Amino acid sequence: MAVGTATISRPVRERASRGLWRDAGRRLLRNGPAIVGLVCILIFVVGALLAPVLSSYDPSVGKLVDRMKPPSPAHLMGTDLLGRDEFARVLYGARLSLQLGTISVVFGLFFGIVIGAAAGGLGGKVDALLMRIVDVLLAIPGILLAIGIVAWLGRGQIQIMLAVGVSYTPIFARLLRGSLLALREADFVLAGRSIGASRLRLLVRHMLPNALTPLIVQATLALATAIIDVAGLGFLGLGPGDPRVAEWGEMLTDSARFLQSAPFLIFFPAAAIVISAIGFNLVGDGLREALDPRLRR
Amino acid sequence: MALLEVEGLLVRFRTHDGTVYAVNGVSFQVDEGETLGLVGESGCGKSVTSLALMRLLPKPAGRVEGGRVRLDGTELLDLTEAEMRDLRGRELAMIFQDPMTSLNPVLTIQEQMVETIRAHTQLTAEQATARAVELLGTVGIPRPETRLKAFPHEFSGGMRQRVMIAMALALHPRLLIADEPTTALDVTIQAQVLELLRDLTAEARTAVILITHDLGVVAGMTRRINVMYAGYIVETAPTAELFAHPSHPYTVGLLHSIPRLDAVEGEPLIPIEGTPPDQRHAPVGCPFAPRCAWRLPACWTTNPPLEPLVPGTPVVLTGDRATHRLACLNPPTAEEAEAGLPLREGFVAAPAPGSIVDELATVEVPA
Amino acid sequence: MLKYILRRLIGAIPVLIGLSIILFLFVRLLPGDPAIAILGQHATPALILQVHQSLGLDLPIYVQYLNYVGGLLQGDFGASFINGRPVLEDFLLRFPATIELTVAALIFAVGLGIPLGRLAARHPNGWLDGIVTVISLFGISVPIFVLGYTMVFIFAVQLHWLPATNQIDARLQLPLRTNFVVIDAILAGRPDALVDALKHLVLPAVALGSIPFAIITRITRASVLDVTNEDYVRTARAKGLTERRVDSRHIMRNAWLPVTTIIGLEVGGLLGGAVITETVFSWNGVGSWVVDAIQNHDYFVVQSSILIFALIFLVVNLVVDIGYAFLNPRIRYA
Repeated sequence: MAVGTATISRPVRERASRGLWRDAGRRLLRNGPAIVGLVCILIFVVGALLAPVLSSYDPSVGKLVDRMKPPSPAHLMGTDLLGRDEFARVLYGARLSLQLGTISVVFGLFFGIVIGAAAGGLGGKVDALLMRIVDVLLAIPGILLAIGIVAWLGRGQIQIMLAVGVSYTPIFARLLRGSLLALREADFVLAGRSIGASRLRLLVRHMLPNALTPLIVQATLALATAIIDVAGLGFLGLGPGDPRVAEWGEMLTDSARFLQSAPFLIFFPAAAIVISAIGFNLVGDGLREALDPRLRR
Repeated sequence: MALLEVEGLLVRFRTHDGTVYAVNGVSFQVDEGETLGLVGESGCGKSVTSLALMRLLPKPAGRVEGGRVRLDGTELLDLTEAEMRDLRGRELAMIFQDPMTSLNPVLTIQEQMVETIRAHTQLTAEQATARAVELLGTVGIPRPETRLKAFPHEFSGGMRQRVMIAMALALHPRLLIADEPTTALDVTIQAQVLELLRDLTAEARTAVILITHDLGVVAGMTRRINVMYAGYIVETAPTAELFAHPSHPYTVGLLHSIPRLDAVEGEPLIPIEGTPPDQRHAPVGCPFAPRCAWRLPACWTTNPPLEPLVPGTPVVLTGDRATHRLACLNPPTAEEAEAGLPLREGFVAAPAPGSIVDELATVEVPA
Repeated sequence: MLKYILRRLIGAIPVLIGLSIILFLFVRLLPGDPAIAILGQHATPALILQVHQSLGLDLPIYVQYLNYVGGLLQGDFGASFINGRPVLEDFLLRFPATIELTVAALIFAVGLGIPLGRLAARHPNGWLDGIVTVISLFGISVPIFVLGYTMVFIFAVQLHWLPATNQIDARLQLPLRTNFVVIDAILAGRPDALVDALKHLVLPAVALGSIPFAIITRITRASVLDVTNEDYVRTARAKGLTERRVDSRHIMRNAWLPVTTIIGLEVGGLLGGAVITETVFSWNGVGSWVVDAIQNHDYFVVQSSILIFALIFLVVNLVVDIGYAFLNPRIRYA
């Protein structure tokens, strides 16, 4: 009655092993808020890159007769107090924000990775010394540190990028050091050590790649803060200080007096800042969830 | 009437990835003062069953979707949350697996014990504290007066589990559910804690449901055993009977996958092939079929109910004379159970329906 | 416990030394001649000499540093180059306004953030949770000055509900004693002035508190959710405690821990944000003073303000850490 066969096999469902990043990317694209964020960033980046295509006006030249005109088909977002096209200025402002924000974060990441890797990788006295320095920087509230550095170095785009970058350095350094310290006890690192892998090789080949994940999430979120901080410096009168470039923060300060008569001059640059910040915040949160699925609730 | 009567308990989890069929119609009874072992691999539904009895399934995902649970005649699933709360800790207590995380780290042992006692009695704080000291002494914690003021992290794992036992037994519950109470402990401590648990519950005639994956633990602790697999009870018998005549392929597999001291030299351990089924699919057929060496073609489509091992025996549900029952279409014989594999000549486990193998030449084999 | 406090105090010393070195170098290492950086291109030689002398630039650098620290310890934070007034004196004059603003912002952030976070955690992924998530997303994405101007436009310009600038209506002629306008109004027994002062506080406090509010909301939500899944919460339920007791004693007692730490850290954000908020609302505190000082190259003012803000931040976090140790028994013995 029983039916038997010579060979026994069952259909094997093999799950192709995908890389961590491909998996994360897939999860990110299934995350609604992250998609909204990506769209925000896309608007921001496309606006920045295609500024000359999207607007035929020169952001730094205007006719005084046209000053402070409300939005119209000719000037989509109106004109500012020097008669310059607000739409063009918002677009070119995106260009500057993208550039200043990104490079600030890259600066911060660079210093942070160097300090954090040295501290977490080498340990001992180097770690103690570097962490004291980080503690000192952390004691100064971030934006105040940036303000201090711009006050010290003077106004200018490079100064702003350095200032904002340095103010993020301690955060990145601490984060990386923390992950590295945790990884030092991880099984695969202990295993590597037990077969005699060199310290540098372990650090560069095994620990750093694993410790980078939280850093990438933090850097994405920092892009949001950097755009806000750069605009904040501009708002305080510490922007690039170059009348030829449009900067969102400076645009706000210049128009603050006309809040009553020309609120659109505040509205558009403000909306630009908020949309790009929301974009990076949403994508940062989405990345965090995508890279660590346990966080999902 | 038995103290606890569970009938057709059905528990499902609604999650992001779909429905998990955790417990699929489980029925059993526990008498006053009886000790019952619930044995199975992790994920087989034994912990979920106990949480369902306590009505502490994680909300909102876990839901009891059918069945009845009666404690001393009271239908627990129909009680209001307040009525149920009154029973918890007083009539129905529970000890959890990991003593390192089961006590609140920011409250002293005293605060945690006293709040338990006072939640169910009219005792004053002083009286409750005195009772707590007494209980800690009973579970063998030295210098209970001073230790009462300590925080959980100041205790070792074994001591914390003793505190958990003291807390669970503080109000003389009629039923104690112990969910893997010694799994997280060192082997030497395990025996001490189990002994303590046995002595205290025997003394107070507290019924115990001991949940474990470790057959060694239930052997000395319980009078009767339910073997669970994938949300079903697949075999039930008094402890001695189960060890003497394991009759479900899964039970046989469990017994052969643990090293034994009395094993003949060179006798191999026989692991159970494969992994437990993905419980995100509605069960079809016998859940153990894919891993079973004794399976018949019918096993892929039919999931048999629990029936007496000897057909026609009148069924006794509880106590030392409980009927040995199992859910299997093709139970191993005593010799096969001893050997751990089918001995019938030419017998080959039936292939899955629809598998490629069906299309190959199949040979009729007389059973 | 005392040992823990002592250890934390000693641990702060290297940070203080590092801070003083950095801020010392801040002025000494100004690009070019510090005197010219301070006075501008058109400084007279006499003024330059005066600056050199007051900075002690002719002395060896370590002597200069020791002099600087010695001065700090005696309460000498230098003098403004604009009006020659001691920095500390002006700072203390304006500081009450900044304290009032940051405390009000903190009350807003904590008072609204924690209940909202708990509410959101009650039904994770429910509609209420969704609303709270969106609010906190805007909280961290909208800069202070954008939120400030938006609120000014709506509540001051359009609706005329709340005043947009200053701490109090000058026409009320409230005599100032402590410079804390709210306290002065109470001391003077002037309910009209008190109401007016509080009205003036609303918009700046909300603008300044919005980021900490969003962060505290998020952390509270995450922390409550984390703790709710802990084994000891299940134990508490298994013991038959009421839901209220499980919530207050078992969930919140533990959920507080990360929230406390974040509140301490956010004080730094508040002090930094005060600089921007005070500029938006013409608030006469330390923040707007620092901005003026930067524009005037009044470096001693900038230097000392950063130092004092950092000191306050360190002290607040020390207090928070000690509070944390009280809440978390595991710390004391660690």
